[in-house]
Amino acid sequence: MALSLRTSLHLVSDPRNLDASVAEVFQMMLGVDCQRNLEPVTVEGESVTAVVGFCGLLTGACIFRAEKPVAMQMAARMTGMEFDTVDDIVKDAIGEICNIMAGAWKGKVPELAANCGLSVPAVITGRDYHLHVLSPEFRLNHTYHFEELNFAVTIVCDGLQ
Amino acid sequence: MNEIRALIVDDSSVMRKIVERALRQAGLDPLVVNEATNGIEGLELLKTKAVDLILSDINMPSMDGLEFLRQIRAQHLAPGVPVVMITTESSEEHVKQAILAGAQGYIRKPFTSEQVKERVLPLLPAA
Repeated sequence: MALSLRTSLHLVSDPRNLDASVAEVFQMMLGVDCQRNLEPVTVEGESVTAVVGFCGLLTGACIFRAEKPVAMQMAARMTGMEFDTVDDIVKDAIGEICNIMAGAWKGKVPELAANCGLSVPAVITGRDYHLHVLSPEFRLNHTYHFEELNFAVTIVCDGLQ
Repeated sequence: MNEIRALIVDDSSVMRKIVERALRQAGLDPLVVNEATNGIEGLELLKTKAVDLILSDINMPSMDGLEFLRQIRAQHLAPGVPVVMITTESSEEHVKQAILAGAQGYIRKPFTSEQVKERVLPLLPAA
C-alpha cells in the first residue's frame, strides 16, 4: 500500500507543532525565548522574507517574514555582529533560520520527516507583496515575538499525498 | 589539546560561523578552520589540506553532503578522519544514509554547543 500522509493530516497540520518548532529554533540558535502573539500582528513596511519549499508527500512552503530591523537583530544574535543594513549576511541568516524552522516543523511528524524534502532557502526583500496559493490543503499563519520584536511564520501546504 | 584542523562545509556562511563558534565553545582550542560552501569545494580542499575533523551540511547546491561523503570515501581522501553531518534532516532514513555513507556522527539543527561537544569530542584522538 502506498504511503500516505492524509491519515496523519491532523498531526501534520497541528498548529502546536509550528509553535514548538519556532520556540525551539529561537531558543537554540538565538538564545532567546519566543512566544506566539495572542492577537495576530501585521508585519508591514520593508521586510525580509525567506521561503523554503517542501517536496515529496507534502508540497508547499515554510515562509518567514520580518521587518528589516527585526531581521538585523536576529542576524546579530546569530553571528555576534552588528548590522545597519540588510546585507548578504543578514539574508543568509534569515534564510538559514527559515530552513531550520522548516526542518524542525517537519521533524515533528516522523512520516513527514522521512518523506518530505526541503529546498534551499530563497530570500526576498521589499514591501507590499502577498503570497497567493490557490486552494491550499491547509495553511498555518502565526505571528510571534521576542523582546517585543514581531515576525510571522507561515506554513502553506498545496499538495498532500 | 593539540591543534585541531576542521573542515566545515555548509552553503550558509552564517552556519559555518555558528559551527565554528560551537567547536570553540566545546573546547577545541587551538582550532584552525577551513570552509567550503558545497561538496565540490570540500573535495578540492581535501586534496590539498590535511584536516582532523569534517563537519558537513546535507542540503547544499552543486553537491550535497551525502554525495560529498561518498566521494571522500571513493577517492580515499582524509582516511580515518571523522565526519559529522550537521543538518535539518532528522529522519531515521537520513541518519541511516549518512552512517552508510561513512559518517561517524549526526547533529540535527537546531543544536546547542553542548550537543556539538558531546558528539564531536569523543571522535577526536586527543579527547
